[in-house]
Amino acid sequence: MGRVHAGVYRNLGVELVGAYDPDQERLGAFAAEFSLAALDSYEELIEGVDVVDICAPTYVHEQLAVQAFAAGKDVILEKPIALTPESARRIIDAEQRSGRRLFVAMVVRFFPQYRSAADLARGDKLGGLGVVRLKRVLFPPGPGWYRDPEKSGGMPVDLMIHDLDYARWLLGEPVRVFARRSPRLEDGAHEHVQAVLEFASGAIAHVEGGWAYPPGYFRTSLDIAGDRGLVEWSSDAPQPVETLFPKDAPAPAVGLPLAGLEENPYETELRHALLALELGGPFDVTPADALAALELALAVRESADTGRVVEVA
Amino acid sequence: MRIGILSFAHLHAEGYLANLRRIPGVEIIGFSDADTERSKRIAQKYGVRWFWTHEDLIAAGPDAVIVTSENARHRELVQLAAGARVHVLCEKPIATTTEDALAMKTAVEEAGVKFMTAFPMRFSPAVQAAREMVRSGALGQVLAVVGVNHSENPKHHRSWFVDKELAGGGATMDHTVHLADLYRWMFGVEVGEVTAAISNPFDAEVEVDTAGLLLLKLENGVPASIDASWSRPSNYPRWGHLKMEIVGQKGSLLLDAFAGHLHVWRGAGGRGYEWAGFHPDPNQGMIESFVSSLRAGRQPPVSWNDGFEAMRVALAAYRSAAEGAPVSPADL
Repeated sequence: MGRVHAGVYRNLGVELVGAYDPDQERLGAFAAEFSLAALDSYEELIEGVDVVDICAPTYVHEQLAVQAFAAGKDVILEKPIALTPESARRIIDAEQRSGRRLFVAMVVRFFPQYRSAADLARGDKLGGLGVVRLKRVLFPPGPGWYRDPEKSGGMPVDLMIHDLDYARWLLGEPVRVFARRSPRLEDGAHEHVQAVLEFASGAIAHVEGGWAYPPGYFRTSLDIAGDRGLVEWSSDAPQPVETLFPKDAPAPAVGLPLAGLEENPYETELRHALLALELGGPFDVTPADALAALELALAVRESADTGRVVEVA
Repeated sequence: MRIGILSFAHLHAEGYLANLRRIPGVEIIGFSDADTERSKRIAQKYGVRWFWTHEDLIAAGPDAVIVTSENARHRELVQLAAGARVHVLCEKPIATTTEDALAMKTAVEEAGVKFMTAFPMRFSPAVQAAREMVRSGALGQVLAVVGVNHSENPKHHRSWFVDKELAGGGATMDHTVHLADLYRWMFGVEVGEVTAAISNPFDAEVEVDTAGLLLLKLENGVPASIDASWSRPSNYPRWGHLKMEIVGQKGSLLLDAFAGHLHVWRGAGGRGYEWAGFHPDPNQGMIESFVSSLRAGRQPPVSWNDGFEAMRVALAAYRSAAEGAPVSPADL
């Protein structure tokens, strides 16, 4: 994600001061790619910047964010905000003490199709919302910290949080959650979870997340049904640019999931954050949203693990 | 073979009539229905004989009947037919209570007649291909199944669908059974547990549920969901969908049983848009299977028990939603 953000900053004309990563080799390659300084420590990085963009693994979010706020810097923090609500609250406390801003990068709200659908749904174009379906399934992550729930929170916290946040954006806080997960496999990487959220309004939502497909596949979809209208979108729909290669030959690349979109959603997100910073305006994902989405993801994980219905409000 | 249709209350009766007419050697003796207005229209439109009472139709001596009444009236019609030693194809869900379903079983067994539950999706070539792939093991261990069988609100076609007494419930009663049956059939196991959220977000005028989301646990440990909602608007390009995504460790299968369609725009005013299917009609395969089973003296491929187990999944969903906890269909 560091590469994606750096590319966006370059486009936006933001001055990239430097980067830090404890892995020297990775840091060197990154610094060379974006022509910026490879710094010797996180402390040195914090010293020289106005805004710190943290794309480090989730288990170090709290440490790095609190340190940046203590030095009086604004923070753009990759999702999920933290591994536990307590940890997230400590980040938010540090933000409030510092008087600086925290932007949690929940990028799904900035994808044009998700934003357009939310505009329709939130603008009452669909009437009262009844059933919302959200899907986000891809292949399992490779070996590394993502696979360790102690470090990433596991699939519900790392991946489903996008759609859980989106469901909250449309419908507010659910009252009950229940979820079912796939059988546990020896590889420890495959995980598929289906969650149902119930809202006080009578609306219900089905949220599907998974690290479960063969390598290269990534599918998302939304289906928002109200009593006066319906909006559907699926990543299965033809893209503005499609490629045809011989079917028995391996495709040269996974594909171009962003090709043809009018704007890179990461750019929309970061521009929105920088503008909010400059003008003191609101950012669409508040720290409280990031915390609530985490709490919801943890409720989904709990229900998936125990099989019980979880009352969340 | 002489076949009659007991009641035109269910939407599917018209389709079944057309299916029967395509089978050589089948004589449609007529239909019975107490709704005069509807019956006159049907008799005129299709040129079939109308019997004022079900008893009259049975007295005309059919070999078999198709029961397409309101759900709660299946029991009395099945008992009537079985009592006259007439074979039965019964619309789904086969009943609205376990008591009624068990009474139907007794009637059929005592009379020694054949009974088939109308689960047409088993006869969809796409569903059959998906089942073959699952059973071949090509997908590896199955991790999850995501099922969608949502539709428009059927009350615009038949008002009894939103009458709790006659239908036994709303969307969840109407739609759960199709996917529940396919899961049982594909994986060869029962549904162990149902957790459900059931609601009426779409139609303030009715008492029944218009939305249901079910998370099942199959007895083989595979989690599977069913969206049984009437969540498509009435101007949707088609009645709805039957979709299933089977996520396996080695590969995933995406089933959209009605994917084959033309995009059709017609009529004046508005954006009249429709999906017109061009794949084989699963109902045709089901009706042909019923007829050929009777001709061969075999049990039809979809049994009373299949109808019963699927119905118990729907009943378990209602209980789960009321209790806020998982419910085993076997406890109903």
